[in-house]
Amino acid sequence: MSQNQTDSNVTITLANQIGYERIAMACSASFAEMFDFPKDRIEDLKTVVAEAAINAMQHGNKGREHAKVVVSLSCQTDTITVRIADEGNGLKGKPPRPDIDKIIDEEQAICGFGLFLIEQLADRVAFKEAAGKGHVVEMALKMKA
Amino acid sequence: MQNKNEITLETLESVLVMNIQGDITSFSEPYLNAAYQQATEQGSEKLLLNVEEGAYINSGGIAVLIQILAKTKKNNQIIGITGLSDHFKKIFNMVGITKFARIHDSVAAAVSTMNG
Repeated sequence: MSQNQTDSNVTITLANQIGYERIAMACSASFAEMFDFPKDRIEDLKTVVAEAAINAMQHGNKGREHAKVVVSLSCQTDTITVRIADEGNGLKGKPPRPDIDKIIDEEQAICGFGLFLIEQLADRVAFKEAAGKGHVVEMALKMKA
Repeated sequence: MQNKNEITLETLESVLVMNIQGDITSFSEPYLNAAYQQATEQGSEKLLLNVEEGAYINSGGIAVLIQILAKTKKNNQIIGITGLSDHFKKIFNMVGITKFARIHDSVAAAVSTMNG
């Protein structure tokens, strides 16, 4: 993991290994604490960072051992913006919104919860092509939901 | 990095409590399934998942829990969950888990309610 901090910006690079999202969670929580984010929003931030990082590792980088996930955090006024970049090609259509009644009755596959949680907890979510190669998920969380 | 769970089973009155140590992620699937199977083979009709305080639960873990909920529905079992932080209570409500499993504030409260 490498870490640089200048002018309210932090960037970390994660190995493409499930479990390493916890490093991004811890880093983002510390970052939000520096800006006095309330505890409930820090928990929301940790969840969206974890889910986006897991998606980047599994779906973006397709589990490739030597791929990287880059997590960037910045804060302006009352909003933290997180950018999570992978080396993939981005979403090829969103999965259906998970419907637990259908899942329980085996009418829908169990998938899409990570993206669902991101969209529920973040105030803004955007999917972008990275400069050069790869894909970025950009999420913004305000201090107060 | 913790990729395994230790799950102990205990019966309190008629409620089978599954004490889950560790985080709940996709890695939890074999441990939770084995514990559920053991509980069901004991004939338990009321199950309580007691999550360790401060446990990390991600979308993979939510998927595993939903698989357990589907099995309890098929087997006509009542299931509750306890040990969740306020954040995960909110998450479980968002994804709809609370439609199939009641969340309790403590093991004692759960046992009392599930036997009521």
